[in-house]
Amino acid sequence: MIRRPLRPLARILRARAEGGNPDAIEAENKRLRHEEMRDRDRARAEGRLVVLGAMFFLAFASIGGRMGVLAASEAAEPTASAGGNPVIATRADIVDRNGRILATNLDTHSLYVHPREVVDAEAAKAGLAEIFPEMTPEELDGLFDTDRAFRWVRTEISPEQMQAVFEIGEPGLLFGPREMRLYPNGPVAAHILGGTKYGEQWVDMAEIEGTAGVEKHFDAYLRDPANEGAPLMLSIDLTVQSAVEEVLAGGMMLMNAKGASAVLMDAQTGEILSMVSLPDFDPNNRPVATMGDRADSPIFNRALQGLYELGSVFKIFPVAQALELGLVGPETMIDTQGPMRIGGFPIRDFRNYGPQLSTTDVIVKSSNIGTARLAIQIGAERQREFLRNLGLLEPTPVEMVEATTARPQFPADRNWGEASIGTISYGHGISSSPVHLAQAYATIVNGGTRVEATLLRRTGPVPGERVISERVSAIMRQMLRLVVSADHGTASFAEVPGYRVGGKTGTADKPDARGRYYDDKVIATFASVFPADDPQYVLVVSLDEPVETSGDLPRRTAGWTAVPVAAEIIRRAAPLLGLRPDMDSLRPTGVTLTAD
Amino acid sequence: MSYLEYQVKYVPSGLRKVLYLHWPLILLVTAVAAIGVLMLTSVAGGDMSRWAEPQMVRFGLGFTLMIAAAMIPLWFWRNMAGVAYAVALVLLILVEFFGVAGKGAVRWIDIGFMQLQPSELMKIAIVMVLAAYYDWLPLDRTSRPLWLIPPLVLILVPVALVLRQPDLGTALLLLTGGGAMMFLAGVHWAYFATLIGGGVAAVVAVFESRGTPWQLLQDYQYRRIDTFLNPENDPLGAGYHITQAKIALGSGGVTGKGFMQGTQSRLNFLPEKHTDFIFNTLAEEFGFLGGITLLILYGLIIFFCIVTALRQSARFAQLMILGVAMTFFLYFAINMAMVMGLAPVVGVPLPLVSYGGSAMLVLLMAFGLVQSAHVHRPR
Repeated sequence: MIRRPLRPLARILRARAEGGNPDAIEAENKRLRHEEMRDRDRARAEGRLVVLGAMFFLAFASIGGRMGVLAASEAAEPTASAGGNPVIATRADIVDRNGRILATNLDTHSLYVHPREVVDAEAAKAGLAEIFPEMTPEELDGLFDTDRAFRWVRTEISPEQMQAVFEIGEPGLLFGPREMRLYPNGPVAAHILGGTKYGEQWVDMAEIEGTAGVEKHFDAYLRDPANEGAPLMLSIDLTVQSAVEEVLAGGMMLMNAKGASAVLMDAQTGEILSMVSLPDFDPNNRPVATMGDRADSPIFNRALQGLYELGSVFKIFPVAQALELGLVGPETMIDTQGPMRIGGFPIRDFRNYGPQLSTTDVIVKSSNIGTARLAIQIGAERQREFLRNLGLLEPTPVEMVEATTARPQFPADRNWGEASIGTISYGHGISSSPVHLAQAYATIVNGGTRVEATLLRRTGPVPGERVISERVSAIMRQMLRLVVSADHGTASFAEVPGYRVGGKTGTADKPDARGRYYDDKVIATFASVFPADDPQYVLVVSLDEPVETSGDLPRRTAGWTAVPVAAEIIRRAAPLLGLRPDMDSLRPTGVTLTAD
Repeated sequence: MSYLEYQVKYVPSGLRKVLYLHWPLILLVTAVAAIGVLMLTSVAGGDMSRWAEPQMVRFGLGFTLMIAAAMIPLWFWRNMAGVAYAVALVLLILVEFFGVAGKGAVRWIDIGFMQLQPSELMKIAIVMVLAAYYDWLPLDRTSRPLWLIPPLVLILVPVALVLRQPDLGTALLLLTGGGAMMFLAGVHWAYFATLIGGGVAAVVAVFESRGTPWQLLQDYQYRRIDTFLNPENDPLGAGYHITQAKIALGSGGVTGKGFMQGTQSRLNFLPEKHTDFIFNTLAEEFGFLGGITLLILYGLIIFFCIVTALRQSARFAQLMILGVAMTFFLYFAINMAMVMGLAPVVGVPLPLVSYGGSAMLVLLMAFGLVQSAHVHRPR
């Protein structure tokens, strides 16, 4: 800064020369300097104020503008972007083939306690004891032990219980939302659905994981968020399933059986429309595996897991194979003179049918000797191949975890000697499940193509490989129909007017733990097809240890036990399946319709 | 103002001073406080006794203080500046040792009838002491580096103490307020330009170096800065306040939902609904119009303060009034900006509206000083 001197020498000298006071010059210059400084300060202060004012204005403008923008905006809840673990979406529903709910989810609450935040533990204990009377005092004490910061009280509580807990008014008792799996039909289709349990549990949610049945088999699919909204559609028909269960339960009681199973299968597609195992359970409250024989537990699925020697129902397999191989025709006479010995093992018939029977009569009358002779002609190699083609030597492909464990029992190749050929031909020495049997029957009657059982809804038949020709399949259907319709057929009780039922009985003695057969314990099985001339459905009914006591002697054969139950099932289920009865057979005899 | 001015010009004395009070300013301050009481009633769900009544009592006390301060000549306050600063500083140091903790910070001292927040006291004390300093300092020395040291010490010591509490908002307010005082006093702009330029360069360097081998901060420190700057990315964590505030503002619309009809603030979505985030309630219940009305009231207070300052001839009075205005401005500008997501969340209350005794008393006291300058202006 260049400063003007207060006493400029030139002016002072001039002033002195003129006789003036040089101090006045200094005073004036001082005044000018002060004014200059004051002006400069004022200017600077004004500049500063302008800057400040501009800043205020900017702040006001931006705050006001922002306020306007926000006021004009829509209020939107924030959505947390899912980081870390993907939240397990709602488990998919399971529905029947018509979309009716078999398994769904219910929103409920869990109850937990933060013991350290509890205000009045005694009051809370008293309140809880009233709401959950099953809780012991020790249990309650444990809940409110302040050693831990968190404890579950109940993983699922009802709305009423929740309200009651609310009313205790204890801030340390807290609720968490959660979903529980609900089976609205109770025990209907229990074995198919299986069950679920909680996996990882957090206060705000819980993981549901399948423990059995399709719930376990399709666990990944059901909990895959990508399928959200898309239920799993089964081949089961809820109404048919319910009807079959009801009839079978009644039949089981009438026949004094300790267990029963039924499989109703579409003969063309292999779709299982109904699969029942009795006794059953409620999947909403799945029992734990009980002590004792696993095969008698309610959670045991006899239809799928139960491996039994099924007896004479197997006879159609050697007969069909012999026809297919051209060894015999339907009317070829077969030597049935007994007793017969193969491999040192005697084979007898239920009663003596005389020296010869036609191939058809071997089935109709169920001759062990006749089928054994056919099987001997076929030989072990071809017999085994045929049974394998029918799916009887491997686990069924049913979409349930239990299916893989049901591995049929049969002799090893080197032990498959003549005795085995004979016994296997009439269903002994080989064990398989009712679902296996239904599969094999469907293959035999549907025109001869391989059927694979499934629990998933199919849109049409899946063409399987050919096992027998159409011609042989038609002959087999006629034979099966004769078993029911012939005067002395073993399954004459199976006649359901209008539905042209065909089928084959099987009564097999149950083996004890040491492999010896009981005299008075049998598995009675009836494998049927209806209508026999237009094979649509295959039904296998099997009763465990049935005794029919209406006659003088207790009767245990399938013809007296499984067959009437199966007939009743067909009577009930066929209309539900949309089958129309054949009117001719329903027409009362001796009455003439005038309209004709 | 010199003794001479007192003799030559008219200065009101005695009870006549009441006539010379700046009544429009008093009216504005009272109006803002009334809005505050209204909002505190609404936030408490209509329960006056919870926050509204204590707030009214404090306003009454503060109002009395304000009038009393206005009656005392300004030269007394100028002489008291050093004392006020010393007291505030001692109290701040006492907080270190005898402070009462709350919300994770130690900010309060229990003085019997109320909990005093010395950092609030410091806000006004620093304005007074800096105004007095620059009043005393000859003008030509204002920008001398040596003479910058005392005001910087005066500012930075309390800032450091407040940061230790920790209270970032108040520290920021003290720093900005003090800096503004120096700027208004006429410290050469080159200092500010250098400081701002250096600050910007440092921030740029910190961010530019991210991801390079010579980065200046640790990764986690960067992440904390990210969350601080963009809380929306963490809507349930650090961004919770802001998201809720935006919902409140957005759902309020132009005219709002009506008194006591707000859901956001009443339903306990906001932890600080009666203090730092009370603006949400206002915005939701009275909408854009309510918010802008409050903003205009604040603006008018600032405007009257500046006008008053311009009519002062004494340097202390000018600087002190502008400093008070600046502090007040920083309060509501930071609060509103933070509530509306324009600035990161630092704890700054909405002046005269938020629940809180120390801030209310200190602000009214400051307006008392402004009034004192206004009353005792020679005319």
